[in-house]
Amino acid sequence: MNEERELAINPIVQTSVQHNTQVVSNIRNLTASLFGVAAGTLGLESYPGFVFYLVGTLIVSGLVFVFRAEGKPSEYFHRPLGDLWGGDVFSGLSSFVLTWTLFYGLVRA
Amino acid sequence: MPFLGTALNGAGLIFLTHAVYSTHEHSVAFAASPVPLDITIELLLSIFLLSAGIVLSSPDFKPIQWAQWSGKISRETRKGEGQWTREGEEFLSEGDPYAFLGLDGGIGGKSEGRRGFWDVRAKRKEYEEWVKSGGQS
Repeated sequence: MNEERELAINPIVQTSVQHNTQVVSNIRNLTASLFGVAAGTLGLESYPGFVFYLVGTLIVSGLVFVFRAEGKPSEYFHRPLGDLWGGDVFSGLSSFVLTWTLFYGLVRA
Repeated sequence: MPFLGTALNGAGLIFLTHAVYSTHEHSVAFAASPVPLDITIELLLSIFLLSAGIVLSSPDFKPIQWAQWSGKISRETRKGEGQWTREGEEFLSEGDPYAFLGLDGGIGGKSEGRRGFWDVRAKRKEYEEWVKSGGQS
């Protein structure tokens, strides 16, 4: 009820929300395959590879936070924690594993 | 900012290609030994450069609060995103699914073709200036 009233007083622009989510998911998809290239070339295996991906996404989230959201994520995201820091982390995982295995096979094997 | 993003992307791609190629050569020459430190550093640096470039060259966020969003629009006007006619109307031909028919100039090229919406604010300002200047055309 409280949140509903808050939304009635300060309405949210749906197209902006969609645009921001789209930008974040684009960045995530591009960087995820990039981290896969790095992890495969470094020859990481099992858990270190996934840890590498999580650290990488954290760094990218930090870059987005500083350069795109200008330190004020609540202006651009309804739920900054879920949409900026955690947004699309697991949807990028599949492209990460794809390029990870590809480059591991190409370079190391 | 787009120039900086492109420059970072370019440098990152060069470093990344070089690092991956070096790793490949190294693994061919010394199959058992791990990747040398300099290649690792180059690889991580190139990844960082590329992700910074991707973030910098991505489009700006738009504010989601209605008040800030509309304030930004009325401050900066909507101009600049598409093509505009001299009369202050925006072309909508970008998403026109029938553009391949070549009827943008109207049938037979005689009429004005598809028109967008009026920029009402600009028109109003123009009118006010006309009235202030004494109504002379």
